[in-house]
Amino acid sequence: MSLLAVDQLVMQFGTRLIQKDISLKVEKGCIFAVMGGSGCGKSTLLKHLVGLLPPAAGTVTYDGVDFWASDDAQRSALRSRFGMLFQSAALWSSMTVLENVCLPLARQTRLDAKQREAKAREVLEWVELGEFANFYPASLSGGMKKRAGLARAIAAEPPLLFLDEPSAGLDPISSRRLDDLILDIRHRTGAAVVFVSHELPSLFAIADDGIFLDADSKRPIAHGCPRELARQDVHPTVHAFLHREVPPPAVPAATEATP
Amino acid sequence: MPQPSLSPRQTLGTLLRSAAGPLERPVRFLGEVLLSAGAAMRGHWTFRREDLGRVLADCSARAVAIVLVVNLLVGAILAFVGAVQLAKFGAGIFVADLVAIAVAREMAAIITAVVIAGRTGAAFAAEIATMQANEEVDALEVLGLTAIDFLVLPRVGSLLLMMPLLYIFACVAGLLGGMIVAAAMLDLSATAYLQRTAESLTWTHLGLGIGKSVTFGALVGMVGCYYGLRAQRNAAGVGVATTGAVVTSIVGIIVLDAIFAVCANALDI
Repeated sequence: MSLLAVDQLVMQFGTRLIQKDISLKVEKGCIFAVMGGSGCGKSTLLKHLVGLLPPAAGTVTYDGVDFWASDDAQRSALRSRFGMLFQSAALWSSMTVLENVCLPLARQTRLDAKQREAKAREVLEWVELGEFANFYPASLSGGMKKRAGLARAIAAEPPLLFLDEPSAGLDPISSRRLDDLILDIRHRTGAAVVFVSHELPSLFAIADDGIFLDADSKRPIAHGCPRELARQDVHPTVHAFLHREVPPPAVPAATEATP
Repeated sequence: MPQPSLSPRQTLGTLLRSAAGPLERPVRFLGEVLLSAGAAMRGHWTFRREDLGRVLADCSARAVAIVLVVNLLVGAILAFVGAVQLAKFGAGIFVADLVAIAVAREMAAIITAVVIAGRTGAAFAAEIATMQANEEVDALEVLGLTAIDFLVLPRVGSLLLMMPLLYIFACVAGLLGGMIVAAAMLDLSATAYLQRTAESLTWTHLGLGIGKSVTFGALVGMVGCYYGLRAQRNAAGVGVATTGAVVTSIVGIIVLDAIFAVCANALDI
């Protein structure tokens, strides 16, 4: 049974179709990339997966349990199986970095206050933010915020991590350090990672599998490891994306009826 | 595809929902806050004590100075207007009655609520709207924490607790302002003024004022949080939310005060 399985998901705002026919599976320890051009719905897909936005159709299952068909108590239990790093890091600005990391531990573990603080400090040391534990998010750089957000996501050791553009806006060195950190997290905790990214070096360096969402046809047009997709004869848009080329002019697609 | 027929209960619900129209979201928000408050009173609260303490301090100790200054001036203005008119009839001493009753029944609660709407209600809206824009509210929801439980409840609860205290400070300041003007314009001694004030003030006046302050506090807290949570996720959204919260709160305070006046009149209190 897959850690995460998505079947025939349809993303829609009102009558505006964003994407359809999205199906994917993420197994334990897999690093899965969600690729695609700007505005194709990658971050929206993550919102459907983590329970922030109900899909128009389709299912999202964790270990065989349908998230959107579950009641509040079941959803709460399912939420403890994943952590999320938001694109903006989304650290709670009224709390210190340490308090940010402690809150998921208070929600998702049975540790007492001292144990929570010790665990949070340990995780912050791991992401090299130990000396910034008592800083507020406003005092951190972009890269430090991302690492603090990652520390918050992994603190309760969930088996699945969702990362929304983890290296966006970072310099190449910080981006590379974050990639190494993600690989280290997978190695040490065995967690699976689903991440959204535009960054080709990151995609090629860490992803084992992936899906490519196309904004024109509003459906996935490629599945597989980005490194292998780059070597294969794939859809011209995927080829252009993975080789950083200007894509050929789009062929007008047949009109699709919205579901 | 044929539409399934609705039961009478579903039909009634659909009709009420369409009739409620623009009120649907505020009413749903109110219901969620009440349910969350009920759960919190049964011990199922999820907000952090530190956040409650921070908000409590912000809407009490840090608000006292401005509440005192504004109410002192309002008391002085009331006394000034009253003194000019009452002195014509040789009834200057009754300026103490005028100030005491006006401050305790109306002005202390209204002016304090307006100050808090502009200060604390606006801050609630701006803070929560900024959290929306920064995805901080989403981060709470991914953790299974609802914004109502974690953000709204401590803010509304803080204002519910602190508004009566601010009202008492406001009453004292208003009476003091009146006394200063009465002493300056009418040569009334502090003892005479205070004696007259004590004779005119009743527990009914004070109870009505406290009741209003609690109601206005709930209104300001909920309106600020409501506008913050429904703000658009950009800088403009923060501004719109803040303005909307202040305007709605002030209009709401006046409307509620009018309802209080009608009810008090009907109940002869």
